[in-house]
Amino acid sequence: MSSRKSLIKIKPNSYKDGEIVKVSFMVMHPMETGMRKDKTTKEIIPAKYVNSVKFEYNGKVITTMNVWESLSTNPVFTTYMKINGEGKFSVTYSDSTGEVHEKSMKIKPKG
Amino acid sequence: MKNTIKIALSLALVCSLSYASEQFAMSDADREMYAEMLEDNPADIMVANGGELLEEFCGGEAGLAAFFKISEDELPAYIAGFPRYLEEFKQVVGLDQALQGLMHKNGHKPFALKSSDMFDMGSYAKSLANGVKLQIDIDANKHMKEAYALGKLTFEQKRGSRGLSCLSCHSPQVIGGILRTQPLPDIGSNGNASAATWPAYRMTKSSLRTLQRRFQGCMNNALLAVIPLGSPEMVGLEVYFTQEAKGSEIAIPGLKR
Amino acid sequence: MQRRDFFKQLGAVATIAAISPAISFADEAKKPKGPNDLSFKAALDAITGGKGAVESSKVSLKVPEIAENGAVVPVTVEVESPMTDSDYVKAIHILATKNANTRCIDVHLTPANGKAMFATRIKLGDTQDVTAIVALSDGTFLSASQNVKVTIGGCG
Repeated sequence: MSSRKSLIKIKPNSYKDGEIVKVSFMVMHPMETGMRKDKTTKEIIPAKYVNSVKFEYNGKVITTMNVWESLSTNPVFTTYMKINGEGKFSVTYSDSTGEVHEKSMKIKPKG
Repeated sequence: MKNTIKIALSLALVCSLSYASEQFAMSDADREMYAEMLEDNPADIMVANGGELLEEFCGGEAGLAAFFKISEDELPAYIAGFPRYLEEFKQVVGLDQALQGLMHKNGHKPFALKSSDMFDMGSYAKSLANGVKLQIDIDANKHMKEAYALGKLTFEQKRGSRGLSCLSCHSPQVIGGILRTQPLPDIGSNGNASAATWPAYRMTKSSLRTLQRRFQGCMNNALLAVIPLGSPEMVGLEVYFTQEAKGSEIAIPGLKR
Repeated sequence: MQRRDFFKQLGAVATIAAISPAISFADEAKKPKGPNDLSFKAALDAITGGKGAVESSKVSLKVPEIAENGAVVPVTVEVESPMTDSDYVKAIHILATKNANTRCIDVHLTPANGKAMFATRIKLGDTQDVTAIVALSDGTFLSASQNVKVTIGGCG
């Protein structure tokens, strides 16, 4: 399953080698805590939340995250990263029900 | 009796918090923090999805421009003029309805106005006009004049068991007052310019919503019969809001509480 | 109806509002327990190995004083650090001290981040302190806390 919608953003849009850029990853995910009741059926909605996120840059792990159910629905993860040559930035994430997805973006520094 | 209690409770909720406004009003620093969240708006994902849908079902920006019989360069300014009277429809329509028309013309079953696919695609289409000022022309023809008049009437008409109108909470006399920690918004260009900042990500709903969908939520809360999306009254209301915010720069998707 | 009358009428039923907190307390007792429930003390001990963390101005924790909506509370943590191989921030932990599971996220950074910053949005069930615990490469721990008031805001 690779249909879960997600987005990687790097700011600024254009950057140089060696520059430290802001990188954001956002994903559409319900982040169900497992403690919420369905308003109509009164049944507890089973937990389903992103539990791990990994940022990699040309195969090197930059940042890893253990995530819990307290993050907001459609969560956003923002940090910085040092640009170090052309290549690929990729995000791998999994959720508590075992879904695993990957999203990547080309890195092309100017000058 | 039961009904009376229900009404009294909801009124009590409204008033308890409006009186508590002093200690509960958000600081400027807090507001700024929420404004910064626009940079990483979860709705960006939905708008990006809308771009793919527009490509697939409407032939992208080229298809949209051809449908409107304009060049691609003219598209942002044209979009900033919605809602518009379109001859093919013989009525004033919102951008979402125009997209339905284009989908139909391309042999696809149009997305329902209330579907998330339509919210996504409509938001993407409107975002093509980001940075352009709202330029609705309510004097363009008699249809636009009528739509504006109907919208104004819908805005001002008291309805429902509480006898409220949109104007009850959004009149110049009440604007800026605090209702449950939130200032009652000035819908016009001096305030939040609603028509320029919707569609938006609704944090309480964790989803992308349109202005007309927001009107429905508001009507529901105020115990007014909910008007259907795309109906003449609804489009009229959007025309009225767009006129009020005319001149404001379009910035889609917005981010709302 | 004049606006003044409208508000006067509202005032007449204001006392009813006092009932509503009692209702929400009753709900709380019935709250289901989550599988990951962990108190702040237990989470702090687990992160720091029982050493605890020292409050430091080197950690800047930015959260709103009043949350517009408890379901989406922006949190930004920034730490003063050179982020070199010998001196860097190893991890930023964000905790919501009163949530059933106080842990929100553990972020493991590397010198390749270049700058020690992490931002996200969390859910807060109630008014409470949000705490950032920062693990440094020398094995010490710093922290910063701030209170966030959660209210039911706006209409619908």
